[in-house]
Amino acid sequence: MKKKLLSALLAFTMVLSMTACGAKESSTSDQASEDKVTIKVFSNLPDRTNGQGFVEQTLFDQYMDENPDVVIQVEALDDEAYKTKFKAYASGSNMPDLVNVWGQPSFLNEIIDANLLTELNAADYADYGFINGSLDGFSNDGKLYGLARNTDVMGFYYNKAIFEKNGWEVPQTYDELIALAGKIKDAGLIPCSMDGSDKWPLSIYVHDLMQKIDPDIKTQVQDSIANGDFLNPVYAQAAGLFVDAADAGLFQSGFETTDYGTAKNLFTNSQAAMFYMGSWEMSMATDENVPEDVRNNIGVFMMPTVAGGAGNVTDIAAWNGGGYAVTANSKVKEEAIKLLNFMFKPENWSKLCWENGICMSAQNYSEYLTGEETSAQLDFTDIVSGSTSVTGVTFNDLGTSEFKTLSEDLSQELAIKSVSVEEFIGKLEEAGK
Amino acid sequence: MKKLYSNKYIILSLIAPGLLTFVFAILVPICLSVYYGFTDFSGIGAANFIGLENYTTLFKDSGFWMSLRNSLFLAVGFILIQHPIAIVVAAILDKLQGKAEGFFRCVYFIPNVISVAIIAYLWKFIYNPNFGLFNKILQSLGFKGDVNWLGSGNAIWSVLLVLIWHGFGWGMLIYYTGIKNIDPVLYEAAAIDGATSAQTFMKITLPLMKTVIQMNVTMAIIAALKQMETVYLLTNGGPGNETQFLANFLYKEAFKSYKYGYGNSISVIFVIICLAATVILNKIFAEKDERRKRA
Repeated sequence: MKKKLLSALLAFTMVLSMTACGAKESSTSDQASEDKVTIKVFSNLPDRTNGQGFVEQTLFDQYMDENPDVVIQVEALDDEAYKTKFKAYASGSNMPDLVNVWGQPSFLNEIIDANLLTELNAADYADYGFINGSLDGFSNDGKLYGLARNTDVMGFYYNKAIFEKNGWEVPQTYDELIALAGKIKDAGLIPCSMDGSDKWPLSIYVHDLMQKIDPDIKTQVQDSIANGDFLNPVYAQAAGLFVDAADAGLFQSGFETTDYGTAKNLFTNSQAAMFYMGSWEMSMATDENVPEDVRNNIGVFMMPTVAGGAGNVTDIAAWNGGGYAVTANSKVKEEAIKLLNFMFKPENWSKLCWENGICMSAQNYSEYLTGEETSAQLDFTDIVSGSTSVTGVTFNDLGTSEFKTLSEDLSQELAIKSVSVEEFIGKLEEAGK
Repeated sequence: MKKLYSNKYIILSLIAPGLLTFVFAILVPICLSVYYGFTDFSGIGAANFIGLENYTTLFKDSGFWMSLRNSLFLAVGFILIQHPIAIVVAAILDKLQGKAEGFFRCVYFIPNVISVAIIAYLWKFIYNPNFGLFNKILQSLGFKGDVNWLGSGNAIWSVLLVLIWHGFGWGMLIYYTGIKNIDPVLYEAAAIDGATSAQTFMKITLPLMKTVIQMNVTMAIIAALKQMETVYLLTNGGPGNETQFLANFLYKEAFKSYKYGYGNSISVIFVIICLAATVILNKIFAEKDERRKRA
């Protein structure tokens, strides 16, 4: 008897453990939410109380208030972890409904090719005020697959107080920038803080210089990558100018291994006079964690002109990177599109981002100017409205994801001189082929 | 009870969880890995069979050789630097006795208790050329103190130091336990015969620790080959590929370049190298054993 009882118990435990493996979500919760629509959102903004994550969460909360039958479940991860898990989701059949995407070929092309995204009706967004060209990166073969979140502009943040105290002027030419680096170093400060460990800021810096040498280079870059042809001297010249800056000590010692947070901290703690980063960091001016004397003195200038270059200071490094898309296999596709449309009504994302000094949306936000903008916000607004050309997505993001890794690695190797300018160009050609 | 265990179904039910876990979590993934290693799978879409192309590319890939070299370099560092120090420290700890013994045992083990992520960031700050501890110390000693510790040329040494420091506690603790298991009568007898502590260490401690050393060395080599977390967080293989290690290289190719097929071929080679290392070590130790027995 005892034996039978024991074997029955063991068998029962085994069956239980096996069923536990394949258990679906409990049926009671299914019943409870039967009349509710659940939209699963996969976001790359894990900080839900600051910056863009805050805006995103605010809009979700507002939407759920207005639509009591909708539940929004958010899963948020940092960029790198996000991209890895996105791939895992993509290879399974259980993708979330609304996902973050980057309007760059290195990220989006494969996903569109695998038919993972729903086509959006471009006509729906005619009166949403999207800036001309901002949705290009999210389109393929004339079909629209996503909406852009921001206009990203790369520039030099500088500490106005430090500049004023030392009598330094905003450089108008690249030579002046290099000369300024020497002066700042003599004053015992780091000229420009740079995140070299993530490598992409270095690639953007090179592309920024390309734009200053030839504002029309945009039309050629994609072909250069596709054909593995970087013979145009603009590429080598830009790479050379970048090496000059590194040689002249424009960036901090060890910039090639300095991560994003540390690079930013060098600037916000007044150890560096400048910080080369994108417009999304304009929220430093409203961030209470940044010391007041820095927070209130943040100005912005663009990459200065290059001797002999055809570009002006108004030819800027700008693109529309992050955005959202609805997945093709979503069971609540209609609802997800409604949520997306709600988010990007001009009075929502665009207004909230601007009013909170977080970033510039990809939409026209001029009617939401409050008159209380930070100087960084005003500088960026002037820069964008006065721009004569933009780089669009930079070269590192214009190829496959493999090209992205290789070209960004190369930018770092160029900075530390483990490859020469000629090798840099040669290896880019190889990577393109 | 004995009858119960002779019932085949009972035996099956008892080994089933372990067996299933092994099959689905280890065996099947390895087989899939071998399969995907022959394809150009990118993680999304179709996987096309491309034969041995991944492997021929791999053997021409300078990044792979660099990371293999670094991994072996680390293994040598473990064996020649970390473990000798660990054995000596363990022997000294054993001699200390009393409260000091417990105190130092804890102190040396602390790095192993702290999370790898914190260790990596801690050292990142220590190495920082602008505000790091090392350069500040150098400056206070009157040097210029502008060493770029994680920069080109220095990075691999800095990374080795962290890894050797971090793994030290484990090795030491295992040696310490081994030493504690040696019969104290032997030491007493040696002391009566007038042996010095160096002689006792060489003639008693070391020979009796042989099996422990064998195990520790095998584990050290495998740890060196699969080193990933600290390097990923500290330098992520940079600058360039200077501090690239096998596991991190695999991660980069598979999850950053999205070359899953290529990543799988690296993992197959990786498994083969680990197996080969284990087999070779076992052979070496077995031969030594036999020679000793014959002698």
